[in-house]
Amino acid sequence: MQPGQRTDAFRPVLRGEGNRFDPTARAKPILVFENVHKAYRADAPVLRGMNLEIERGEFVFFTGPSGAGKSTLLRILYAAELVDEGRILFMGRDIGRLTSTSIPFLRRNIGIVFQDFKLVPNWSVLENVAVPLEVLGLPQRLIRSRVGEVLERVGLAGRGPDLAGTLSGGEQQRVAVARAIVGEPALVLADEPTGNLDPQLAVDILGLFEDINDTGVTVIFATHDRSLLDIRPRRVVVLDEGKAHDVPHGLDEVAEADEDSGDQPGVAVRDVA
Amino acid sequence: MTDLQRAWRGGRNDWRLHALSVFSVAVAFVCLASAALVVVNIDGLRARWAQAGRASVFLAAGVDAGRAAEIEQALRATPGVADVRFVSSEEARRDLVGMGDDVLAQLPAEAFPASLEVKVNDDAEGHTLAGIATQLSSLPAVESVETYGVWTDRLAALLAGGVTASALLAIIVFGAVISVVASTIRLALQRRSREVEVLKLVGASDGYVRRPFVIEGAAQGASGAVVAIALLAVFYAIVRSHFQGELATLIGMAPMFLPWSVIAVMVGMGGGLGALAAFTSLRKLLVV
Repeated sequence: MQPGQRTDAFRPVLRGEGNRFDPTARAKPILVFENVHKAYRADAPVLRGMNLEIERGEFVFFTGPSGAGKSTLLRILYAAELVDEGRILFMGRDIGRLTSTSIPFLRRNIGIVFQDFKLVPNWSVLENVAVPLEVLGLPQRLIRSRVGEVLERVGLAGRGPDLAGTLSGGEQQRVAVARAIVGEPALVLADEPTGNLDPQLAVDILGLFEDINDTGVTVIFATHDRSLLDIRPRRVVVLDEGKAHDVPHGLDEVAEADEDSGDQPGVAVRDVA
Repeated sequence: MTDLQRAWRGGRNDWRLHALSVFSVAVAFVCLASAALVVVNIDGLRARWAQAGRASVFLAAGVDAGRAAEIEQALRATPGVADVRFVSSEEARRDLVGMGDDVLAQLPAEAFPASLEVKVNDDAEGHTLAGIATQLSSLPAVESVETYGVWTDRLAALLAGGVTASALLAIIVFGAVISVVASTIRLALQRRSREVEVLKLVGASDGYVRRPFVIEGAAQGASGAVVAIALLAVFYAIVRSHFQGELATLIGMAPMFLPWSVIAVMVGMGGGLGALAAFTSLRKLLVV
């Protein structure tokens, strides 16, 4: 392709020419939010001028009360919604400017996990997990091999033939995680993935996402479960009333800073909106 | 997994829905296939009459046997004429009165003119008989010549009417097929909304999501046409086995079923309409 030539297809900087990572992309943030505004009603904006950068390989919690805009933000990231103003760059490409034919290429670089699992209940585990690879048109032999590896990784080895609808909630969420990572995406979005699980299972699933993050995959984990944030002191972005507050080292740091600074709460919190 | 395999999986899970759709499409196609069957047989009848190649040369009153024999000989020598048979006035009267009609029996002998029954070769061109008839009509010994062309014309008119009616019926049937398949596919899409949502979320293009549904739509349309033709064939076989002799006497030829070309067109049209219906019904519904 000639320099400056445009193409409709979304072309990720990852996995070009057989390389796992493009060296020039490594130095860039994987996600950049620039003055992002989003509102469903004029008097109740969900996001008001959000600015944020997420580096490659980071694990970030998005938290906030119900209705704060966590799910909306994730939907914008996988191009199910558009921002009203501002832009979000994923690997340097403005998500809002992607054409409808390019959106599938974006989504092939993002794994998504939902609270309600979004599995097809009358398909087998294997069929559910294999979907992203079938969309890519990979050969069946490779698909079976990759699905087998991923199922082993999420603790479901040998469960491939079982119908997804017959599994327990925790197992279904593991299947959903397997489906999200089987295509080796650059980014995994988890939208309240522990919302339907008991506390112990929630911790297990969180551990699974941390394992995924350890392999270099960027993970955005949206949750309103404060206990999970306390267990893992990681970067937290708090969404509330349209504003986003970036807490780089976990909410515990805020509490400690509040104690140290007496009547100056929020010292460690960076207002990004 | 290929598009066909995905279509098969979807169709298998929703087989009752698809069976109902195929049945509805078949009902619509039975009407069209029946109309086509009538048209095909009228056309066959018209073709038979057009190629019947026979004429009745009615001799004028008072023509003696010698003059009739001269005309007969002349006709036999005419190229394209296969056979000539003299039917005397008495024979004609005997043939008709013998059918048991009392009114005919009371008619005078003059009402049954002598005639020459001419049969031309099967491979003779259409204008051969017309030319012979024109020449014969000019002879003083000939009263009139009946080539039965009027029946061919009437059948042609009936055929044209049948074709027009079938074309109108086809439009209605096509509308019904599109409506049934589109509704079924929309329902199937609704039932498989989770599957579609998942596909879109993992990066499937609209085309990838749509293809199995289009294949299912095409299969429904084509299957509906096949089922309709099969039902009609069974009905035709039953009727023919019971009334073959009567039908042959009534219409002057053995009835025939739809030719393969018509069957192929109907099945292809069913498949094409089904695919079109599925494609258009999904166009605005694949938004995730």
